[in-house]
Amino acid sequence: MSEPVHIRLRPMGVDIESAKGTPLQDLLFSYGVEFPCGGHGKCKGCRVRVLEGSLPLSPAQEHMLSQAERDAGWRLSCQCTADNLTLELAQWEAQILADTSRFSFTPRTGFGVAIDVGTTTIVAQLLDMSRGEVLAVRSALNPQARFGADIMSRVSAAVEPGGRERLADVIREQIATMIAELLQAAGDPTRTVTDVVLVGNTVMHNLFCGVDVTPLSYYPFEPVSLATVEFTASGLGWEVPGDPPVRFLAGIGGFVGSDVLAGVFATGMHERAETRVLVDLGTNGEIVVGNRDRMICASTAAGPAFEGARIYMGMRAATGAVSAVRIEQNTLVCHVLGNVPPRGICGSGLVDAVANALRLGLIRAGGRFEDGGSSLTLAAPVKISQTDIRELQLAKGAIAAGIRLLTREFGVEPPAVHEVLLAGAFGNYVDTGSARRIGLLPFAAEQIQPSGNTALLGAKMALFAPAGTFDALAKRIAHVSLSELEGFQDIYVDEMIFPGGEPETP
Amino acid sequence: MEDLQKLYDAILTGNAKVSKEVTQQALAAGSDPQALVQKYMIPAMDEVGRRYEANEYFVPELLISARAMKASLELIRPLLAARGAEPAGRVVIGTVKGDLHDIGKNLVAAMLEGAGFEVIDLGVDVPPEKFIAALNEKKANLVAMSALLTTTMNSMKTTIEAFKAAGIRGNIKVMIGGAPVTEKYAEEIGADGYSTNANGAVALARKLVAA
Repeated sequence: MSEPVHIRLRPMGVDIESAKGTPLQDLLFSYGVEFPCGGHGKCKGCRVRVLEGSLPLSPAQEHMLSQAERDAGWRLSCQCTADNLTLELAQWEAQILADTSRFSFTPRTGFGVAIDVGTTTIVAQLLDMSRGEVLAVRSALNPQARFGADIMSRVSAAVEPGGRERLADVIREQIATMIAELLQAAGDPTRTVTDVVLVGNTVMHNLFCGVDVTPLSYYPFEPVSLATVEFTASGLGWEVPGDPPVRFLAGIGGFVGSDVLAGVFATGMHERAETRVLVDLGTNGEIVVGNRDRMICASTAAGPAFEGARIYMGMRAATGAVSAVRIEQNTLVCHVLGNVPPRGICGSGLVDAVANALRLGLIRAGGRFEDGGSSLTLAAPVKISQTDIRELQLAKGAIAAGIRLLTREFGVEPPAVHEVLLAGAFGNYVDTGSARRIGLLPFAAEQIQPSGNTALLGAKMALFAPAGTFDALAKRIAHVSLSELEGFQDIYVDEMIFPGGEPETP
Repeated sequence: MEDLQKLYDAILTGNAKVSKEVTQQALAAGSDPQALVQKYMIPAMDEVGRRYEANEYFVPELLISARAMKASLELIRPLLAARGAEPAGRVVIGTVKGDLHDIGKNLVAAMLEGAGFEVIDLGVDVPPEKFIAALNEKKANLVAMSALLTTTMNSMKTTIEAFKAAGIRGNIKVMIGGAPVTEKYAEEIGADGYSTNANGAVALARKLVAA
C-alpha cells in the first residue's frame, strides 16, 4: 500500500487525497487541467508552480523550462508524481460558449438534445422541440484531451493497440453523463428524449463512432467513412428515457466535419446568391467559401495560440486573463477579466497586444521586437515573449493563407466577399480591428460578422430538419486540400509576416 | 573586398536580386567560386542561423535568405562541378512516407546547401525504396528525413529498417527531424542524430560527416 499524500490546488482551493507516486497527470486531469502535447513533456501547457513541498526536475523539464521558471518553482505536471504538495495551476477553468440564437423551425413533439463535440470542449443543450426552447445547457472538457490537445495526437492515440476502444469509451461515457445532467437540470430526469444529434470534426466523428482512423494518420488523410451514423441510446450502453436514436451527422471531407456543415446550415450561406466566407478560428481552423451554387471548404492547422495555449503566460479567457489591450496616450492599457490582478493572457488579448504594439512601432513587420528585447510587459507580471509572437505568426499565417488560397480557388477576391462569418469562441471575442491589423483576416471591418457557436445552432436545427437534409448539403460542399494547391508554401510563409504599418480606416 | 561584403549582406537580408548580381560581377571579374562560397556565403548562412536561434529571425527571414543564397549558388554550382570540387558531403533529404509537410525540410535543405553540402532533395511522401535508390545512385553519405506528425514519424523507423535490410545502413549516417521527434525517439529507432531546427541540422550534418 502506497503512502497517502495530500495535494492542495491553488487558486481553486481544492484538496486531493492520493497515493504517493500517482502520476499528477491522472490526478489533475479530473480537475480540468489539459495536456496539450498529450503529456509527453513537449510543451508547457500543464505547468504547475510548487508553493509548498518539492517536485524533482527531469531532463525533459530542464529542456522546456527556463532557469528563471525552474527557480520560481514551475514544473511540468505531466512529468511529476504525487507527493505532499501545494500547487498553483497555470490553467484555469474552461470557457463555455453556448448558443442562444433564435431560429425558425417547424415544431415537433418531444425533447431533443443537440451536442457540439469539440476537440477541447463539448457543449450540449436540451430542447423542448414543441417550442424550440432551450431547457438546459451543459459543457465539459472533452475527456479525450488527456490523450493530446490536437486532433493528430488523438489519431495517434487511437491507432495504438486498444486505443480506438479507449477513446470511444471515454467520449461516449462523458456524453451519457451530460445528457443525464441536462435532464436533471431541466427538473425531470425521467423525461422522454426523442432525438439526439451530435456534430464534430472528422476525428471527433470517427472516434465517437468507433471508425478506424488509421487512414487519417498519413497523407492523403482520407477518412474511412464520414457518413451519418445512427445508434440507439441503448446500443451505446446509455440509459436515456425513451431510448432515442443518436445520430452523429455526416462530415464534408478531409478533417472538415459536421460541425462546419452545421455551421453552413445555421448561417444559411448555402441558400444565398452572394458569396460568403465562414471561418472557424480554432486549433484546427476551418474555412468555407461559397454561395447557393457552389461551396468549397478546407481545414488548416493553426495550433493552439488563439486559445492561449503554448503561449508563455497564456491562459483561457477566464478570471485574471488580459482579454483586451488598447492604446491610450501612446501606451498599452490592459483589460483584465473579473476585476482582479492580471495573471495571464488569452487569445483575444494576445491578438490585441500584438496589433497595438505594431501600431506603436514596438514590433516590426517581421515579428521582432523593435528594441531587440525578448519580451514586452503589458501589465506586470503579464508579458508577451518573442516566442509568443512567433506562435501567433504561425497561427495567423495558417488561417490567412487558408483564406487567401481558398478564395483564389473559388475565384473571388477578398474585397468582393459579401460577408465573413466568424464562428467559434475566439471569433466572438477577438477584436476585428486587431485581427485585421495582424493580417489574420484580409477583409474590411464592415465585411466581418461574428456569428457565435454556429455548430451548436446547426445541430439544434438538425433536430427539426427532414431526414437527409444534412447529408444532401454535405454533398454540395467540395473539400480542398490546401497544401496541394500551387503556391501553398510561399503564401503561408508570406502570411506569417505582419502587414505594413500604413494607416487604416477604423 | 568591399564589393563582396555586399554578397554577405544580400544573403543576410534575403535580397536574391543583389546576391545574384554581385555573384555574376565577381565571377566575371575572376573571383574564385570556391572562395565566394567559403568566405561569404557560408558565413552569411551561419549568421542567418545564429539570428534564427536567437529568435531575431523567423521562418520567413530564413526562407528569403535561403532563396538569395540559392540564386548565387546556381551560378557557382556548375563551375565547382566542372573543376571537380568535392562538396562538404552528399545528403539525400525528404519527408518520409505519409508525410507531406515540407517547410521544415526545405529549410534544412537550403541551410545544408548554404553550408556547402550537395543536397539531393526527394521531396515529400518519400518511400524507403526511393531513399535507397537515391543513396546508391548518388553515392551519398548522409540521409536526412523528417516527419511533422506523430502519426507519420514511425515511417522514419521503417525507413531505417529498410536501410538495414538493403545492407547500406553501415555506409551512411542518418539524421532526423520534425516537430514530434525527440532525442529519445532518435535513439530508439537507431538514427545517428536529430535536430529541432534547420541551424542545428547543419551543425549535426558537419559533425556526422566528420565522424
